[in-house]
Amino acid sequence: MIELKNLSVTLGAAAAVRDASLSIQAGDRLGVVGESGCGKSMLALSMMGMVPDALAVSGQITLNGTAMPPRDETAWRPHRARSMAMIFQEPMAALNPLRRIGDTVMEPMRVHLGLSREDAIKRTLDLFAETGIRDPELRLRQYPHQLSGGQRQRVLIALALACDPALLIADEPTTALDANVSLRITDLLVRLSRQRNMALVLISHDLGAVARATKDILVMYGGDIVERGPTAAVLAHPAHPYTKGLLGARPRIEQAAGKRRHLPTIPGSVPGLFDLPKGCRFSGRCSVEMPHCARSKPENVNTEQGQAACHQLKEGHNGG
Amino acid sequence: MRRENLPQMHGAVRMGYFIFRRLVGFVLTLLAVSVVVFLAMNVLPGDPALNILGIESSEDARAALREQLGLDEPAVFRYFQWIFNAVQGDFGVSYSYGVPVSELIVERIPMTLSLAFSGMVLTTVVALVMGITAASHHKKTGDWVVMLLSQLGVAIPAFWLSMLLVLLFAVKLRWLPPGGFAGWDDPLAAMRSLVLPTVSLALVQSAVLARVTRSSALEVIRHDFVRTARASGFSRQRVLWRHVLPNALIPIVTIVGLQFAALVSGTIVIENVFYLPGLGRLIFQSISNRDLFTVQALVMMFAVIVVSANFLVDIAYVLIDPRLKARTE
Ligand SMILES: Nc1ncnc2c1ncn2[C@@H]1O[C@H](COP(=O)(O)OP(=O)(O)OP(=O)(O)O)[C@@H](O)[C@H]1O
Ligand code: SF4
Ligand SMILES: [Mg+2]
Repeated sequence: MIELKNLSVTLGAAAAVRDASLSIQAGDRLGVVGESGCGKSMLALSMMGMVPDALAVSGQITLNGTAMPPRDETAWRPHRARSMAMIFQEPMAALNPLRRIGDTVMEPMRVHLGLSREDAIKRTLDLFAETGIRDPELRLRQYPHQLSGGQRQRVLIALALACDPALLIADEPTTALDANVSLRITDLLVRLSRQRNMALVLISHDLGAVARATKDILVMYGGDIVERGPTAAVLAHPAHPYTKGLLGARPRIEQAAGKRRHLPTIPGSVPGLFDLPKGCRFSGRCSVEMPHCARSKPENVNTEQGQAACHQLKEGHNGG
Repeated sequence: MRRENLPQMHGAVRMGYFIFRRLVGFVLTLLAVSVVVFLAMNVLPGDPALNILGIESSEDARAALREQLGLDEPAVFRYFQWIFNAVQGDFGVSYSYGVPVSELIVERIPMTLSLAFSGMVLTTVVALVMGITAASHHKKTGDWVVMLLSQLGVAIPAFWLSMLLVLLFAVKLRWLPPGGFAGWDDPLAAMRSLVLPTVSLALVQSAVLARVTRSSALEVIRHDFVRTARASGFSRQRVLWRHVLPNALIPIVTIVGLQFAALVSGTIVIENVFYLPGLGRLIFQSISNRDLFTVQALVMMFAVIVVSANFLVDIAYVLIDPRLKARTE
């Protein structure tokens, strides 16, 4: 359905995303994890044709078999809301504060599908029911500031579903919500993806949510996809030192159940875009680093679980 | 959709109360203005009869005039009488025209209001188009062009520009009349005579408002909901006019309110430049005729227009932003 080949998003000499390749089919549920600033949102925005003007995009994006020029608004616009939709981190900020919820959710249906107001209201009420929005009739007339955070995020999900997209990209949809609500929103996304056979890309800081919701996982660090594979397998037997680091510092599941889970801390922090090492992005923070890591970029190698890019693995030290 | 909903009802009641409170403020403001106007015209300058007749007049003549105009009464009494009559539409009889002041006002107010409104509409349309265009081409050619034009608009004196316009469109091209007004009977001719005065009034104001619109829109464009609208596949124009503009309106409306006051006083000059029979020309003539009641009524009229505009702006805020409605208690 959508395919990225050697996609890079760069700011001058610095790369927010480097050589990313991936392919998403109907019904896929893909998790994307990584610390803050690792390029997760950039990867997602490039799938919407919405990378900020300041950054350059290279590589190939293919949507339903058509090559998409990364920055051609007229090429992307007809696909937005219909082929793919995106929901964002901060539900309050993502809704137009001056519009009634009903008008907001109805707008894409009326503009793209040409529905009459009555039909749009009907469809919106159906979506409200599907996304678990309480008091649907009342919500139609309310404004975003009158809703709770969880209800707002459901409204955004309903808005994203308005034109029945084949792919839903959720960029940290629950970061602004408390743990219980967050859990329910994640489950809602999974249910919607199953029922509609809609592909889901779930970007999250929350490894627990990704473990729960997705079939496959991408681990990103410093703009590189450092490891990928089936979610359960990768999380159970991580091959890449960075993935291990993420998991190692992670609170144990039973401790964390029902509580808010922050991404664990690996010693040090992600360097700025311009300070990333040229070779393996993780060198400098890696506990099993070798002398040439900082200079040469590790190739993807097949692991038992999937793929990972690390010199240790290339040299046969598969530390599963 | 049904209307029987409780929160909605409460909203309507609250809104009614809000408007009521603003109305009270509106009336109080006008009363305060009336006191100032009355003091300025009757008490501070000393003997009004002397002002009207001049220092060469005889004491007898002044006494006669004082009696004729009822100026013998104490000032406080005269103030209340003025207000009491004014609210009934009676502003006394014009000393120089010999007809009731209210007749003069009714006859001339359409001109001034048409000028002020058409000036405001033109200002707003030009400013919104320019400001939104500039914001959507931020730091690109469109932005620079608009900023340059508005810089010129602000820098060039309005009266000089109106003279140039008259020279070009009235004298050289003969498309429009250079001034004067043939009456409202021929609407097309009336509108033609209003074109140049309106443009002269609006040019500077729209340059200012375009800048306000641009910076307000630039501030709004950064918000996440604009990204949501874009991610929903809406056209650039829809995103700008339906999502960005409404959210940029609060500062714009504030400035429009202030500009309306400026436009209304601007009509005084413009009506005199273009020989248009409106309140502005009337007040000029009344001042040179020392027509006390007329001037007093006209100053009050201008104040009413300006204060009403501000009242409407206050109401507009709440209509624009539902979050403010929640805060109206
Ligand atoms: N508009 C922009 N202009 C220039 N650089 C940007 C811009 N937006 C993001 N970046 C940079 O791109 C890099 C990747 O950012 P991105 O938002 O994709 O990270 P992320 O993984 O989504 O992080 P987070 O978890 O904080 O959302 C960061 O180094 C960031 O500083
Ligand atoms: S390539 Fe080197 S620095 Fe990078 S993760 Fe592997 S061992 Fe660590
Ligand atoms: Mg992000």
